[in-house]
Amino acid sequence: MRTGRTSRRRYPRQAASETSGHRTHDRFAWTGLDLLNGEIVPSLTILLTTKGCSWARRDGCTMCGYIADSNPDAQSSDIQKQLFEVLARYGTGFKIAKLFTSGSFLDQEEVPIDARDAILSALADTPKVIVESRPEFVTSEILDDVVRSNRHLEVAIGLETSNDDIRNSCINKGFTFRDFVRASKVAHSKGLTVKAYLLLKPPFLTELEALEDAIQSTHDAAPHADTISLNLCNVQKGTLVEALWKKRLYRPPWLWTAVEVLKRVKQMATLICDPVGGGTARGPHNCGKCDRQVVSEIKEFSLSQDSTSFTAACTDQLLWKYVLEFEKFSYGAPLVP
Amino acid sequence: MQRQFEVTRRDGAARLGTLRWRGEELTTPSSFDSKEELEALIALTIHSAELDVAVITNQEDYRAERIDADVVILGGAARFSDDPRGLTKALVRARESTNPDSALYAPALATPNNVSLLVYAGVDLVDPIMAEVKAREGYLLSAEGERQFDAISRSYCLCDACRGVNVADLTPEQRVTLLSAHNRQALKAELCIVRENIERGTLRELVEARCRTAPMLTALLRLLDEEHSYFERRSPIVRTATLLACSQESLNRPEILRFGERVIERLNKRGGILILLPCSARKPYSRSRSHRIILNRLGKLRQFLHEAIITSPIGIVPRGLEIMYPASNYDIPVTGKWTCDESEWVIGRLTKYLEANAFDTVVAHVSDPYRKVCDEAAAALGVDLIYTVEDENILGSASLQRLCAVVQELIVEDSPKRRDLRFDYLQDLADYEFGPHASTAIFAERTKVRGLFPTYYASDGGTRIATIVGTYCTLALTIEGARRYLRASENRYCVHIDDFVPKGTVFAIGVLNADPGIRPFDEVIVLNERVIAVGRALMSGWEMQASKRGAAVAVRHVDAR
Repeated sequence: MRTGRTSRRRYPRQAASETSGHRTHDRFAWTGLDLLNGEIVPSLTILLTTKGCSWARRDGCTMCGYIADSNPDAQSSDIQKQLFEVLARYGTGFKIAKLFTSGSFLDQEEVPIDARDAILSALADTPKVIVESRPEFVTSEILDDVVRSNRHLEVAIGLETSNDDIRNSCINKGFTFRDFVRASKVAHSKGLTVKAYLLLKPPFLTELEALEDAIQSTHDAAPHADTISLNLCNVQKGTLVEALWKKRLYRPPWLWTAVEVLKRVKQMATLICDPVGGGTARGPHNCGKCDRQVVSEIKEFSLSQDSTSFTAACTDQLLWKYVLEFEKFSYGAPLVP
Repeated sequence: MQRQFEVTRRDGAARLGTLRWRGEELTTPSSFDSKEELEALIALTIHSAELDVAVITNQEDYRAERIDADVVILGGAARFSDDPRGLTKALVRARESTNPDSALYAPALATPNNVSLLVYAGVDLVDPIMAEVKAREGYLLSAEGERQFDAISRSYCLCDACRGVNVADLTPEQRVTLLSAHNRQALKAELCIVRENIERGTLRELVEARCRTAPMLTALLRLLDEEHSYFERRSPIVRTATLLACSQESLNRPEILRFGERVIERLNKRGGILILLPCSARKPYSRSRSHRIILNRLGKLRQFLHEAIITSPIGIVPRGLEIMYPASNYDIPVTGKWTCDESEWVIGRLTKYLEANAFDTVVAHVSDPYRKVCDEAAAALGVDLIYTVEDENILGSASLQRLCAVVQELIVEDSPKRRDLRFDYLQDLADYEFGPHASTAIFAERTKVRGLFPTYYASDGGTRIATIVGTYCTLALTIEGARRYLRASENRYCVHIDDFVPKGTVFAIGVLNADPGIRPFDEVIVLNERVIAVGRALMSGWEMQASKRGAAVAVRHVDAR
């Protein structure tokens, strides 16, 4: 799952305006700013179209619709071609490269070995290369292979929550917290860094449960992750979350909830958050008046790690507080759209 | 387990009830008040210690067995706040799939504006959550709807929370406090009004008024009206309250549709001469000035005629049913003009009535707009009616003269003639209440009618068979009448009870089996191996079977079987 990045299909307009994105026939890439060892540096995000996430093809998560962006016929050569075309376009001025497939970069079924090694070798001089993977592909064997091509790898794992019940019942993720911890240990033992994605507000949780789960998960994941990315759940096409949202049984998280999580957790790891689709009905949102400011404050925080970035105040905080306290009494429906 | 919810009064799907929990008696429909209560209820969904609580959702399919709990929570009901179609389905399903003595709780949905419709649709319990949410969104709520607080320059409300407050001086927190207090108060006040209207049997009139304030609510009422059988199964056969037909929706009231259906399906088919008359403001029609003049003028000729009254919104009222609800007590705005919907409905009823019966001749003593209705119906059937009114004046001497002349001319020597016009009332009421041919089973050739209008009674060789009783003008059978009806009817309008001799009231717990067609206030026959009794139903037959609490029948007479 990759709610932490902008999807080309979901929010094309926003992605374009925020990141001056560049679009060719089957790939999408954009530049941005990210933290590297406490410094703000330029980054390049590259979406690679593969045959799709192994889990999504078999079963799938309740909030993830990225399988729709995959291409079942994607060959090793296609994937390599996509990367080299992007590199040709954007040059090498970036310090961080983020390689996002529709699933696990380390899954040899999804990204064949020759493509994987070619891509990682091409980025060998980049100070940090982030790839995403489910924990089952983060093995000693595979990592030994990949570090030969690239030593600056960060493995990003969609942990979503440290609570196995929520991860299985609400998200249908198909792995446990122990799987994540094991993968993280393996990655660290090979000298790689680890990023954990946490999902704020999986379906079937009230706003307060989601808030508490995110805080707990951050504390639980911090010892095993160098960076924690708080992903605010958004409503993607073709997902269970979308079906629930259409029936008014799901509402994306309030931006205030995200702010509350970012403010309240103890800073044990770098904590970042990109409110994808912030302020829209399908994305995390508040009352509509304060959304823009809160979104930009959250982005600011992700770069500065300074919780004094949060200064916005709005009358809808009273409503948000009431929702936190009383939403459970509706027995399943959000109190406010 | 002892049931903690008991329905004490019914008005369609709405009801008054008592819920016992936390050592108190809550009169429903009602709103939970404190967070503590809501917490306690959630706890009970897990451990049903003092109260049996079940949560249902709309996704659930109908189960063969009704869900049986003291309180049934319609989970996620708040999602229907702008979805009348979904709400209608969810509420009807919720009530149809749960036991009739379960209280239905719709969480986080009620506002002062919509609560009357929610209760009308079958909700017993609500809460102030939506009122509080609206307070935080800046809305001042009332039964008439919501207003942005900022749009009100001076507080126009006289409630405790609003009185004397200068809106401009308030901090956001103070504003929320004020709005929250006001909104909660408004919800409570509206619930008082709703309960009072159920008590009087006028909730329908209230919801027709309330639904005008928002298109969503009007849509909701219209969609609810499409659930005819859901409401009909719960609607009393008679009321003391006057039915006020002030809106387009009034035409779709369950009791109006039911009356129309029964006139066609239950009443004896007739032949001979029919005279159609316009309705009158005074009810029953025959006590009005216009009808008295016409009927006096017809005099003895009446025994050759069948009489029926054309009226909006009831449609066609045969003379014998003029004392029966709703024909006996309704009121409509009289402007001399009918709306298209009204005309269309009445034309349909008249067409059906003429079609179902085989009259040789139809005389219409009517002026506009009734005349237009007759024309349309006649055209639809391809028959000719004889019009007798001249100069648009039904009471004009020329009109009356012509009426008598026309009727005189139609009568031939062997025209069928009725011996007692009062018998029409008994006969029509018997068929209307007990089903087709009930009158043939109950009354014999030599049955005599006595009594003063409208409380006639019938006796046979000195034994009384049936009486029209005062309050509602329903036909009540005596034990003898019941025996005669039983011989022909096979369990219709029968309530089979356990082996005891009923005194006063039969409770639902003692009912073994009941005709599902019984409606509240129907006259019913109570039976077991030893005794036969007659009485008045206090709930529907299907409800008697499914309920464990509540009075089912008020017994009038008991006799050995």
